[in-house]
Amino acid sequence: MLPFAIYFIAGTVTGFHVYTLLSLAVYGAPFNPLEFVSLLGSFGLLIAAYVSLFRPNAGARIALIAALTVWCFYGPAVARILRTRHGTQTKISRGFSRPTAPGVELG
Amino acid sequence: MILPYLSVAVLVVATLYAAVVSFRQPSESAAGSWIFPAAAGRRVRIFVGVATLILVIGIGSWFALSVQHTVRRSSRFLIPDGYAGWVRVEFEVQGAPALPVEGGQYVLRIGPDGSLTTSSLEQFGWAKDSYYFDSVDGLHLIPDAGPQSLIWGKINGEAAGVSGKRKYEEFFVGTQQQFKDQGKVERRTIP
Repeated sequence: MLPFAIYFIAGTVTGFHVYTLLSLAVYGAPFNPLEFVSLLGSFGLLIAAYVSLFRPNAGARIALIAALTVWCFYGPAVARILRTRHGTQTKISRGFSRPTAPGVELG
Repeated sequence: MILPYLSVAVLVVATLYAAVVSFRQPSESAAGSWIFPAAAGRRVRIFVGVATLILVIGIGSWFALSVQHTVRRSSRFLIPDGYAGWVRVEFEVQGAPALPVEGGQYVLRIGPDGSLTTSSLEQFGWAKDSYYFDSVDGLHLIPDAGPQSLIWGKINGEAAGVSGKRKYEEFFVGTQQQFKDQGKVERRTIP
């Protein structure tokens, strides 16, 4: 029952999340083709959940392939968020020297 | 806002678990352990099957009901022949007449100045409205889609004026070029 719950919850949550992102396209938001790939992976996780009830090892292999498919979208997204958070702006600042403030004598 | 983080978290768990189960040595005991169980028993399979069936029926029913609730009665707008400019319909105006219903549609007869006030409630939901030029020789359908459309910029809103809050609906009647050109003209205000 544990593998079923893990794969089923993962497939449902990621599928719902990507579906909400895709639905924003109705309002003119740009969509990433990898979102479709990810949605397919979520569906694969749901299939793996049911297969795992009968053949746990086969279900795990299907789940692994499906999860890696879902990562096609989440991997670059997470990497981009981390890059933005850590503020690596080397390309923009390259070639520019930071202006130095004139020395101020305190006291 | 929590959904993206939750998605990544459950995906990490599912990936790691699937990888471990895929590459580990098979257990010697037929029953397996609680974390790496063997194939589920007959009762568990039946339980999962029934739960899935209930889930699918529930989602299907919810979807069907939500679609029903988002459908509204369609409206037929009768616009004076040759009128070009903004049309404004104000709803829930006390003392104004209610909208008549003909052939299952609300009939909105727009005045020569492009306005209409009614005591009826504003309707929301999916419906295919139709627009007609009302002339002495009958009604002429106005195209409201495609490049030949004469209906543009339909909006619904609520505004506060001297006479209180008013719900309204506006759209522009004219060619696409006329619609683009009128953007510089000042918009009317609520009396």
